[in-house]
Amino acid sequence: MFPKLDSLLHSELRLAVMSILSEVESADFTYIKKQTGSTSGNLSVQLDKLSAAEYITVEKGFKGKMPCTTCRITDKGIEAFRQYVEALRSYLMPSDSSLHSE
Amino acid sequence: MEQNNEMSAKQSLELIAETINNSRKGIIRNSGKHFILWGILLTLFSLAVYFLWKASGQAMWNCLWFAMPLVGFPLSYCLRKKSDYTAPDNLISRMMSQTWRIFCIFSLSVAAVAMIIARTTTPIALIGITPALVLMFGVAESINGILLKNNVITVAGWLIGIGGLVIYYVSGINIGQMLIFTFAGIMLTLTGVIVKYQNR
Repeated sequence: MFPKLDSLLHSELRLAVMSILSEVESADFTYIKKQTGSTSGNLSVQLDKLSAAEYITVEKGFKGKMPCTTCRITDKGIEAFRQYVEALRSYLMPSDSSLHSE
Repeated sequence: MEQNNEMSAKQSLELIAETINNSRKGIIRNSGKHFILWGILLTLFSLAVYFLWKASGQAMWNCLWFAMPLVGFPLSYCLRKKSDYTAPDNLISRMMSQTWRIFCIFSLSVAAVAMIIARTTTPIALIGITPALVLMFGVAESINGILLKNNVITVAGWLIGIGGLVIYYVSGINIGQMLIFTFAGIMLTLTGVIVKYQNR
């Protein structure tokens, strides 16, 4: 039986955001936008969804006089991301994942 | 990147791998410009000390080294501010910057101890400051090469450290030893260029 994929992470942009944040301590909105090549509006909506699920925290502040939004992955987000990757692996290598679970 | 909820498992894993890889490359590329900045500064300061020391015969021109961080850190800050976004730190970029921060602290401390304390307690400072610093520099550069998985940088670090030591013993204690730092500065600048272009 294949594990169910987390529907919140099974979306291109949200998955890209989580991949970026899994690698760094924190990243600002402009950096994520540049890395993902997304529009500001779309990215904002997806960040809100991840934040509502407590997968990330979004902190609004200022860098000098410029507004700055900083995103950070939470422990819950890391665990969800890890489980999502494990689930994907089990889809591709079912025998391999059964070995791991033993 | 648009919304796509119909990805296959393979596509999802590829997306994760590609995004992480691009992010890593971007972060490391960003650190390349700081290597170039400090490499150019090291080259310029070593040449300045070399020519001033040679012209005046006064070893006290070595005090000019203490001005290097005073020039370098504000420039480094400006370089960071000039970017329209703050590149985040990952494990590799953090280890690279910490390696150089430690090198900077040790260099200034060794130089200060040798110039202030050793002079007051012994007739001559028994530590060769140039070989000590050039060894530490080489070690820091080699660690960066290993972190970046770049053999050219790792070997360059070894060449700076050991080569600098050899030049020091062969040429003896003279003004010419300042040119070891010029060599180190050029190697550091080249490291920055490699880091910047390897991760395009």
